[in-house]
Amino acid sequence: MTVGDDAANRIAERHKASIPSLRAKDYKSDVKPVWCPGCGHFGVLAALTKTLAYLELPPERVAVVSGIGCSSRLPAYLAVHGFHGVHGRVLPLATGLKAARPELTVIAAGGDGDGFSIGGNHFLHACRRNQDLTYIVMDNEVYGMTKGQASPTTQPDWCRSKLTPHGTGMRRFQPAAIALAAGASFIARGYAGDPNGLTRLLAAAIEHPGFAFVHVLSPCRTFRPEQQAWKQLVHGCELGPAHDAAEAAELIQRDDGLGLGVLFEQEIPVYTAGVTADAADTLTTNERLAAIEAEHCR
Amino acid sequence: MSPPAAPAASDTVIASVAELLAHALELEYASQAHYEQLADSMAVHHNVDVADLFRRLAALSGQHAEDVAKHAGDMTLPRIPPWAFKWECPDAPEGSDCLDANVSYQMSTTEAIAVALHNERRGHAYYLHVAASATDAEARRLASTMAAEEAQHVALLESMLTAAGGSQRSAPEDLDPPHIPD
Repeated sequence: MTVGDDAANRIAERHKASIPSLRAKDYKSDVKPVWCPGCGHFGVLAALTKTLAYLELPPERVAVVSGIGCSSRLPAYLAVHGFHGVHGRVLPLATGLKAARPELTVIAAGGDGDGFSIGGNHFLHACRRNQDLTYIVMDNEVYGMTKGQASPTTQPDWCRSKLTPHGTGMRRFQPAAIALAAGASFIARGYAGDPNGLTRLLAAAIEHPGFAFVHVLSPCRTFRPEQQAWKQLVHGCELGPAHDAAEAAELIQRDDGLGLGVLFEQEIPVYTAGVTADAADTLTTNERLAAIEAEHCR
Repeated sequence: MSPPAAPAASDTVIASVAELLAHALELEYASQAHYEQLADSMAVHHNVDVADLFRRLAALSGQHAEDVAKHAGDMTLPRIPPWAFKWECPDAPEGSDCLDANVSYQMSTTEAIAVALHNERRGHAYYLHVAASATDAEARRLASTMAAEEAQHVALLESMLTAAGGSQRSAPEDLDPPHIPD
């Protein structure tokens, strides 16, 4: 154990009592996942349900929203509030939900295409807004649902798609570096093949006050079978987490993109849209909307 | 972060019966969840026989979890964060290797038994390790008993594998193959 120990230890200290009353399966719905057997997303589902159980978050106080893509099926497989939105719009949905219902633990989830291409602009502004959200991106470097096209994180010379027979020729999107530049206050990288290690990152992300971005390397065994090699290539990012943006920039740039752990963590003011959790509990829907409108029309 | 680095030797030593039971409970819950997930996947892909096999294995793991819980009785088990269990693999020894290259939606019953056998062998090896390394004598004794039970499961699956070896059937029809379109 090295990276992320601070956050993990803080959480463990608060949960020292006997075994939790809720189990991971209490957060799973009856809907059967249609992901291919061997898909990395199963590891993310397992890690997220274990995290919610460990933190003993009541299912009715958790909302998971998503965009479009294989990974965005996640809300259907969970027995918490869920919303399967439109392509690339997971963060606007999550932002609106958290503004209207600040008492909820809001988790946004999606894939690399959904989050970094179609929703790329929302990603930048969610990072700098620093609302108290957790954003999980399951990155398999391919559009899997539409049967295997290059995504923003695909290597420039990947040429297995007929759409890009000579590769994309473009440099890859750098999720952690861009999140840092855009002002995210928590950045972590996990691996779907290590669900318990990922649980630690997700627990730290959910507990982090502000926008927490968790970049998960989640192999697609169908269209990117070579990603099975990640199991041997991922490694602990020994130097993190950085608490200073300049140090984090150096850490991220020096890393090979396969370093796992909390890369950056900083406590900065959280955007609340002017409605506190306690106040929101007592407001009617109209009053809540009026409060939000007043906040934004100042 | 924990991922590929193996924990130090002291991180894998069980110190009490309560700690062992907490690990055993997690191991069985993880096993049950793993088999349920595989059963669901196979059912979605119309691989009915294999789905049924994994469903039965999940039920057995659930039964084992109940047995462990009964054994714990009124004992207060320690609350262990998911990332701090004392095993060297990323998940519980009988839990999910969600990226298992041997798992496919078109897998045969024989291949499914082989996956289960691999898991049971990992569980057996884990209890043998605890039986040899726990600092508490009662925990070592209990771990030996659990290892003996796991050895029975391994033997049963080995005999099932031998029996199923000659009766391979063709893979279920794939109505929507996941190939990149031309």
